[in-house]
Amino acid sequence: MDWQAARVSLTLAVCTAALLLPLGVWLARWLATTPWRGRPLAEALLMLPLLLPPTVIGFYLLITLGQGSVAGGWLASRLNLRLVFSFEGLLLASVLVNLPFMVQPLQRAFAAIPASLREAAWVCGLSPWRAFWKIELPLVWPGLLAGVALTMAHTLGEFGVVLMVGGSIPGETKTLSIAIYDRVQAFDMAGAHIMALALVACSLAALAFVFAADKTRPLQEK
Amino acid sequence: MLQVLLKNAGPVRLNAEFRCARGELLALVGPSGSGKTSVLRAIAGLLKSPQLQGRVSVGGAGSGESVWFDSARGVWQTPQQRRVGLVFQHYALFPHLTAIENVALAAHPARANTYFDELFERMGLAGLQQRRPLQLSGGQQQRVALARALAREPQVLLLDEPFSAVDAPTRQTLYRELAALRQDVAIPMVLVTHDLHEARRLADRVVILDAGESLQSGPPATVFASPRNARVAELVGIQNHFRGRFFQSGPADAPGFGRLAWHAGAPEVPQISLRVVDKKRLDDGAEVSWVVAGELLDLSLAADPQAQNTLACTLREVLALGEISLCTLVPLQLPSQRITLNLSSASLRQLGAGPGAVLHLHIPPAAIHIMPVRQG
Repeated sequence: MDWQAARVSLTLAVCTAALLLPLGVWLARWLATTPWRGRPLAEALLMLPLLLPPTVIGFYLLITLGQGSVAGGWLASRLNLRLVFSFEGLLLASVLVNLPFMVQPLQRAFAAIPASLREAAWVCGLSPWRAFWKIELPLVWPGLLAGVALTMAHTLGEFGVVLMVGGSIPGETKTLSIAIYDRVQAFDMAGAHIMALALVACSLAALAFVFAADKTRPLQEK
Repeated sequence: MLQVLLKNAGPVRLNAEFRCARGELLALVGPSGSGKTSVLRAIAGLLKSPQLQGRVSVGGAGSGESVWFDSARGVWQTPQQRRVGLVFQHYALFPHLTAIENVALAAHPARANTYFDELFERMGLAGLQQRRPLQLSGGQQQRVALARALAREPQVLLLDEPFSAVDAPTRQTLYRELAALRQDVAIPMVLVTHDLHEARRLADRVVILDAGESLQSGPPATVFASPRNARVAELVGIQNHFRGRFFQSGPADAPGFGRLAWHAGAPEVPQISLRVVDKKRLDDGAEVSWVVAGELLDLSLAADPQAQNTLACTLREVLALGEISLCTLVPLQLPSQRITLNLSSASLRQLGAGPGAVLHLHIPPAAIHIMPVRQG
């Protein structure tokens, strides 16, 4: 077991979920409640990471964020921030790739709240902000847990984007999935086996958790 | 006093105007899609439309008045600022909160537990404080929704089809409770319903809405007996609704009476002449629609030679509905028309007439209500 890689993977998963959570809640609520003409396009863009080969996303991220690019050059010179072959870059890529995993379950949860509940809260005198915390957030809780679980499991398993954007720098961007690949290349099947099994267990646990959370969904529209 | 004047040109067309006094129960009646709920939402501040015009205010004129909406002065209060108690059609209880948490959310934060216990007791909900909405029956959910609306200490109580989702026995109980509540709470109450019987039974005044427009308002008995026009007659469910041509009282008529030529749509085909009250409101020869109040009609086997407005009719159909029987009569002179009568089954037995029999229908002039046909 490559513990260093496991640590990178876990840190990446936690940071990705933490960054995506507020962004995902905001995006999901907006998509679920705001009628807007461009919504199908926004939703398609959001789902794109599910369909595209990870290498395509990695490739474009390299092009846009690499130091030869305008954005990459600006970030490097002004903020001293390098977004390729670094953990920060890996995190950014991970956030983008995981958008659909966080937003989808949340969006469904927000859409399942009848508009009348939100209005009832307003008529009861609750400000939109209080209505969000007291009424909406508790009702989307299962969707929120599902989003976090899926995001973390998917981050642990991501390979293509990680390799393209992060390279394989031990302790910085070398994750478990890359470590497995390395071990197989080196014919260390037993080592690969342990790490692969750990990933299988994590993903299975996350999925089981998602389904369990879905069944205990407290709101069922009558 | 709640004063409402709403005009909206947008997708939700509105042209409604009415008032509702303290302690008064006003029913907004109309078919689905007539804008009843939109009017309620506009009062509560939930209907947002850039084209919405008009004024919504509560309280007495002058200093005691709070203006919730006034398009002329650019006043728009949010739903949070308006003290409205709104019972939603499907109650909109918060499913993750207990009954008492639902109610407490609308109440002033300083309210103590004793207040809620008293409120629950009064609403017939004692002991149900800790139940979630899904653990309550339909009637109990409705009471919790009403308690939540009252906990807001509203200036106006709005009820959106509050009885549509409960079974008939529960509905009867809830009707009685609403009547009792009106003794306690002296604020304007607006009830939205598509059920005419409900409106008739509960409301002090009704407003008939159609396509967002208030067509007529008044006490239920007046509106249901004297609809202002054919559309209102149709909306309040009057079955005996016919066309005709009105003629003012002439030299041959008794003073104060005119003539109604009942025709089947085209004036030149056979018609029946009826004596009617001339209220001097209609032009001579005006095309009219008219209704008859069934309870004033009289049915007999033999023709009374003295009586005016007696028509020989065939009894086409008898539908026994327990204590009453629904009879369909066809005038011999105008076979395309149908008159529907609710007769008590006992009096029909006394008459001894079955389907196919020829009977004489007496229509007193006072039973005929004539309305101008709306042009365009």
